[in-house]
Amino acid sequence: MEGAALLERLAAGAPLTWRVATIRDIRPETEHAKTLVLQVPEWPGHLAGQHVDVRLTADDGYQAQRSYSIASAPAGPDVELTIERIDDGEVSPYLTDFAQVGDQFELRGPIGGYFVWKASLEGPLLLVGGGSGLVPLMAMLRHRRAAGSDGDARLLLSAREAEDILYREELDHMGEDSVAIQITLTRGKPPAGWSGSTGRINADMLAALGPPPSEHPRVYVCGPTPFVEEAARLLVGLGHDPSIVHTERFGPSGG
Amino acid sequence: MEMHTDGNEIAGLLQEVFVAEITDTMRMCESCHHESPLGAHRLYTGAGYVLRCPNCGDMAAAIAVRPDNYALTMRGTWMFGRVE
Amino acid sequence: MALISRGFHGRRQDDVDPSRLPPGQYVTRDFPVLSAGPTPHTPLDEWSFAVGGAVGAARSWTWEEFLALPTETVTKDIHCVTKWSKFDTHWTGVPVDTLLEGTDPWGKFVVAWCDGGYTTNLPLDDVMGGKAWVAYQYEGEALDPEHGGPARLLVPHLYFWKSAKWVRGINVGDHDEPGFWEGYGYHNYGDPWKEQRYWSD
Repeated sequence: MEGAALLERLAAGAPLTWRVATIRDIRPETEHAKTLVLQVPEWPGHLAGQHVDVRLTADDGYQAQRSYSIASAPAGPDVELTIERIDDGEVSPYLTDFAQVGDQFELRGPIGGYFVWKASLEGPLLLVGGGSGLVPLMAMLRHRRAAGSDGDARLLLSAREAEDILYREELDHMGEDSVAIQITLTRGKPPAGWSGSTGRINADMLAALGPPPSEHPRVYVCGPTPFVEEAARLLVGLGHDPSIVHTERFGPSGG
Repeated sequence: MEMHTDGNEIAGLLQEVFVAEITDTMRMCESCHHESPLGAHRLYTGAGYVLRCPNCGDMAAAIAVRPDNYALTMRGTWMFGRVE
Repeated sequence: MALISRGFHGRRQDDVDPSRLPPGQYVTRDFPVLSAGPTPHTPLDEWSFAVGGAVGAARSWTWEEFLALPTETVTKDIHCVTKWSKFDTHWTGVPVDTLLEGTDPWGKFVVAWCDGGYTTNLPLDDVMGGKAWVAYQYEGEALDPEHGGPARLLVPHLYFWKSAKWVRGINVGDHDEPGFWEGYGYHNYGDPWKEQRYWSD
């Protein structure tokens, strides 16, 4: 039922049109990532988990288009995108290294109806993110906070090194929102005093974080394709119903 | 390395075609009869796009984005929600 | 025209000889990986290449037999229908002329068929006369699976979807049979110089 209701709401917002987004502010997140705060005229609002398509046009007409998850909670006036710079990428280096406040590009959205979460949906929330896959999951947690929700919410995040963790400070304070967080670092030596995990995600980490399948959590997994497929495989192996595991795979061409 | 993503990546394109958001739409594969949402189908990018069943890999759709129209070849049973 | 973003250029190469660039194309230094399905992984001891169909004498080779065939190393520009072109790519492979020798084809059309189920169709003429190879080395090294290894068809005068990855055989026929992309909206022939991208072009 809720699928049809969402569809109805989103269908009412169709068709998609390209709008001009203006960069209002730029916030560095990590050495490789920045958040662009965008002003988009007549922005219809969005649901946590949705993304936008960004289109850049060169003066000879050459175009490149990429999708970026919306990082901000639905309640805000602006659209925030967290862009991770991919070396040799075509679009991300332009957005992270070159673009300045005041610059403009085309954007359309919000897009998506499968990988979305609303605080009004019942049941515990389990989020599993790899690298920049954290972005749409963070929109969900920010939405949860803005909605004043205190339902069961847990996040397992996999990052290469501590310096790569997006929204580090905000995540450190998530305990205040009663969100259980587990972070695992997959590359190199963890920093001194690291109290999280190390190594790739595995069944033990997921089992330890919970909640168990018997509590019927809604699960959202996002990140590079191999990460998402491994996480989904592990979750189903632990007994979670495959139909409640929502997945969003980022590709290597997301640069 | 597997070079695919999923139907979420073409959600915008599909919304242009169907004038509605459809990544939540369930599709039953004609080969394996597995049901899953379009957003969970594997997306391959070749000359055009190819969506494949996440269970058996059989083709669900081939999409050619042409100058004046979209050429969509669809397989399996796609179940669109009714909007009353 | 769409809004121009200040200073955006992309990863294109600019200083190119325009006479080598078909209409609507851009030159890249990358080698994008495009595919209609997952990368197959046929073990070499199970691999074979076959020429069959409307021929007087069908032939096939195991991987070892294939490697023993005479090869050519060629330098070619390649053009993808998704608008990127790559100049001066180096390939080593067996000319299709060599593979057709002694098979006495009497059909005028071919379908190249591949692991994973991909197919593409061409006139027999377009894979003869020094225009096509079955290539198993790229830039002097074994062809990567993601780029079609162990072997792919190479037909550089047509859009690169005709250079079928993971090729396992060529079937000669007496009528034209559209392959994968040709059946789903792309041009039956695919000449980049005439910008034959789509079926109605």
